[in-house]
This record gives sequence, structure tokens and C-alpha cells, in this order.
Amino acid sequence: MQQNPFLAILTRLGTFVLVMIVLSIMIFVLARVVPGDPARMALGPTATPEQVSALRTEMGLDLPLPVQYLSYMGRALHGDLGMSLLSQRPVTADLAQTVPATVELVLAAVIIMFAIAIPLGVMTAHFRDLWIDHVGRLVSLVGVTIPSFLFAISLQLIAARYFGDWPIIGRMDHGLGFTGGPTGLMLVDSLLAGRLDVFLSALQHLALPAIALSMAGIGQITRITRSAMLENRRKDHVLTLQSFGVPERVIIFRYLLKLSSIAPLTIMGLEFASLIGNAFVIEMVFSWGGFASYGLNAILQKDLNAVTAVVLVSGLFFIVANLIVDILISIIDPRMRRKEAR
Amino acid sequence: MAQIKMALDGADKDLSAGYMMWYRFSRNPAAVIGTLIVLSAVICALLAPWITPRPQDVGAVVNFRARHLPPDAQHWFGTDKVGRDIFSRAIFGLRISLLLVIGVLGISVPIGTVLGLVAGYAGGWTERLITGLTNVMLAMPPLVMALAVSNLLQPTLMNAMIAITLLWWTWHARLIYAVSKSVASEDYIEAARIAGAGPLHILFREILPNCISVISVKTTLDAAFVILFGATLSFLGFGVKPPTPDLGSMVADGRQFMPDFWWEVLCPGAVILYVTLGFNLLGDGLRDMFDMEG
Repeated sequence: MQQNPFLAILTRLGTFVLVMIVLSIMIFVLARVVPGDPARMALGPTATPEQVSALRTEMGLDLPLPVQYLSYMGRALHGDLGMSLLSQRPVTADLAQTVPATVELVLAAVIIMFAIAIPLGVMTAHFRDLWIDHVGRLVSLVGVTIPSFLFAISLQLIAARYFGDWPIIGRMDHGLGFTGGPTGLMLVDSLLAGRLDVFLSALQHLALPAIALSMAGIGQITRITRSAMLENRRKDHVLTLQSFGVPERVIIFRYLLKLSSIAPLTIMGLEFASLIGNAFVIEMVFSWGGFASYGLNAILQKDLNAVTAVVLVSGLFFIVANLIVDILISIIDPRMRRKEAR
Repeated sequence: MAQIKMALDGADKDLSAGYMMWYRFSRNPAAVIGTLIVLSAVICALLAPWITPRPQDVGAVVNFRARHLPPDAQHWFGTDKVGRDIFSRAIFGLRISLLLVIGVLGISVPIGTVLGLVAGYAGGWTERLITGLTNVMLAMPPLVMALAVSNLLQPTLMNAMIAITLLWWTWHARLIYAVSKSVASEDYIEAARIAGAGPLHILFREILPNCISVISVKTTLDAAFVILFGATLSFLGFGVKPPTPDLGSMVADGRQFMPDFWWEVLCPGAVILYVTLGFNLLGDGLRDMFDMEG
């Protein structure tokens, strides 16, 4: 048993480092054993065998796999992920350009998810078996049932039919002549530049993809919140509060909600991997041009350096999300600070 | 006298656990609807060549005079860009989806179950190794990994299946591990060990029966996930090769003709929704039947 909260966080960090190492080895080996020679692919079919073997030596493809891996990771830690065959630029530069768009989309989706799912979960638990409970169940069911691409396309169809000028692709109106700013987050950059028109346009563009991305999570989180609320409602200390005559409103919002937000947060962390996966689909449907679109292209074109980087960054997204979840939970629940790191 | 005996028999029957479960299941509208949906989908898929109006449209048939026809009595779901009947193709597409479910779950559920059982019972290094591996696998975005694996090899359905299977066992292992770990410390397991039962007997005859409800609910819900996952892969262009019909790629094909020929997207999409809805309702019904939490 570890009593020290910092030690617990450290253990957790250690696990994450281990996860990244295993993930990187897996994808690295996978990317190197595939049929096809990266040097040949980089030079094209017209290159002579001498040119290819020269490039192989230059790229270090002659060295044993472990040596290649170590040198790759050494360079990766210094921010060098190699060149992308597709864009002919360093992969890091491509990532710097595309990751913020995805971060913006995913953050917006997570905010929508919690803003809808937590209140819905609380209400469905409180008004158990009344109409609102059935609505909540229906939303959860649709959320886990509908393919995200179908939901995204349906949103586009509805927008095109009933809201004629609502933008259904891209991140902003290019007619506004806004080129972006320091953070890469369109909403933040436009405010920093004091361009309210750009901000509104960006917000409009963000709405549909963010809703589409949040749908699957809304269903699950509503469900988890509901069952956590119902379970905690039966706990002794809550019954004690009730018998002391504490109003139901206070019980729900001051005591139950806090206790019941741990389960949905944990699930959110675990489900983050599939959220990133869904971003690939949503970005494609809405031509979002983020990291996921970049990744999809890289995979389709067998751009090995980019594919490796995309998988690593996806893993990193997952890990960062779970770290944030861990910190949030230890703030919400003091008991967690004393428990052994899970 | 005979009447009393009959009444007693009836009471006995009412109290048996199996009967109670069946009672709960059959009185649950969602469970019954889910069962009917899944059954109808399976039957349609099995009998596809005989029940579809135009089974020949599954191949590379071209009939330009009938292209982009809206749904009507003859073509229930309309026709696609080369005039093929979407309804027939969608029913055949169901076969691919269900095949994917059988392939993925048929391999990953047994693997995940055995690893979970062993990790929960053995403890020590075995436990740490398996849970560690599970945690690492869970950190990988499944879709990204499936895309990467299937494309680095060859973007075929077979490779997509392998890729999904490689990741899927972890969820089962994790779940079964939790059950197995809590059961392993029960007294009767200790008793069985003292009585001389070997580890295989304890794992499969003592612990496994406790996991059956969890496994069946999880597997049913997973069937829906696998279908969604497979449809998403083929929507992104990593599915079976055309002209073989596949629900995900049919939606992707139809997307080029939005919003005018909406049925080319929404009809195959509705078929996916129908099957996943069925498996979800069935899974929820099973969960209620086993009286599980959450």
C-alpha cells in the first residue's frame, strides 16, 4: 500500500511510459516488417538499384532492427520523427499543423458530452421510470447503436435541407481571410486577433462535427451516470442525510453528484481511445483537416514515418486524457489519494 | 390430492432459477424485440440468395437505365449509381457483417476468457504480466491500430478481421479478470483445492461458470460493436473488394451523391442500425435476465 499521493501518481506515470514503449515497439516492428521497401517507395520506380541502396544506408535501413528502433526513439525524443513521404516535410511540422484542429474538435466533443450526459444521467436516475428516464434510455441506445459516420452524414443532410447556409465542411469560412494564429485552435486564435466574425464562423463550423463526435459518448456516460447515481443513493451516508431531513436537491447536487461523477470520468478515460478512432471518421466526413485526416491519408499512402507518428500521438492522446482523469478523480475523491495506484 | 400435487409441481417450477430467468426475459419487450431482430437478420443473411428480389445485383452488374432510382415497390431501397438493387445488396452485405462477428468474437472471446481466468486465479507474475499486457493493448486506439495493421499488410477484410481480433480480446480479459479475481478468494475454491482439484478443474469447472452471465452479455453487446467497427472500416475504404456488397462501403459509395440520392446512404445505414439495435436490445435483455448491475 502506498500512502503517498505523489508516489501513486509516479507509479501511474511509469505505467504510461511503459505503455508508450510497448506501443512504439509494436508499431515500429510492424512498420518495418511490411512488404515493400521504404527507400524504394521514397524514390519511386525509376530509381536505379544503386540509388536505392544508397538511400537505404542513409536511412539506416541496413542496421539491425533494435539499433534502428533505438536511434528512431532517440531522435523522436528530440522532436525528430523523420520525413513524411507524402508531404515531403518533417512529420513533426505536419503534426504541429494538424494536431490543434483535432484537439479543438475533441475538446468541444468532450464538453458537449458532459454537458448533456451528466444532467441527463442525473435526471433519469431521479425520475426513474418516468418519461424522462425513457428519453434518456433512448438517447443512450441511439448513441451506442448508430454508426458515427451515419450520424455525421445525417446531420449534414439535415443541415443542408433545413438550414441552407449552415456550413457542413471545413473549419471556417475561407472568404474571411483568416490564416490562423499562435495556438492553432481556431476559436482561441480568432478571439486573440479580435475577430468576432471569424470566431462565430469557426463556432458554426465546429458545431456539427463536435456533436457527431460526442454522440457515442453521450449514450455511455448517461448510462453510467444513471447507474452510479442509483447505486450511491442507497449508500448509508446518503440515507443518513435523508433521514436528517436534508432536502433532496441538496443531497443530489452536493453529495451524490460528486460521488457519482467518478465512474463516468473513469469510463471517459478508457473510452478515449475509441473517441480518437471516431475522430478519424468524423474528420473525414466533415473534411476537418486535422491530425486524424492526416493519419488516414498517411495510412492509405503507406507513409511509414507518418503512420508511426500517428499511432504514437494517438497513444499519447489517450495517456494525457487518462492522466487528466486521474488528477480530476483524486481532486473529487480524497479516498483515491490514499489508495494504491490502480 | 392430485390437484394439490399439481399445484406444488407448478410452484416448484416457478421457483427454479432457469424458469425465473426465462420469465424475466420473455416479459421484457426490449429483449423480445432484440431477439426477433437478431433472428430475422441471421435468417435473412443465411437465405439471402433465395429471398432477395435481385440476387444477381451482388456482382458487377451494370444497368444504367435503372440508376439512382428512388425507393418504390420494385426497389424497396432504390438503386445505386450503376442501377443495382440496394435492398438485395444490403441483405448480402449483412452476411459480411455477421461473418465478421463470428470470426472476431469466435477467436477473441475464448482467448480473452482464458487469459482473464488465469490472471485472476494465478496471481503473482502471471497476473501482472497479463494485466499489464491488457492495459497496454487498451491504450491503443482500436480503429487506428486496425487501419494501420490492415493497410500495412493488405487492406482486405481478412486482415481487418485479424486486426480487430488482435485488440478485441483485451476487453474480455479485463472483464473476466475482475470476476475471476473476486471468485478466486471464495471459500469453496479453497475447499476444492484442499480436496485435491487441479488448476484446470478449478479454472473451468469452478470459476468459469460464474463468468457465463458476464461473458454472454458482453459478447452480445460486442457483436453490435464489431458490426459497427467493421462498417466503419469499410466506410473508410478498408473493407471487402468491390463488387462484393458491404454495408459500410455502400454508405461510402452513396455519400458521393448526397443529398439528392439520400436513399443510397440512409438505406444501407438503416440496415446497420437495425442489426446493431437488435444486438444491443438483446444484450440489455440478457443483462436484466441475469439481474446484473449497470
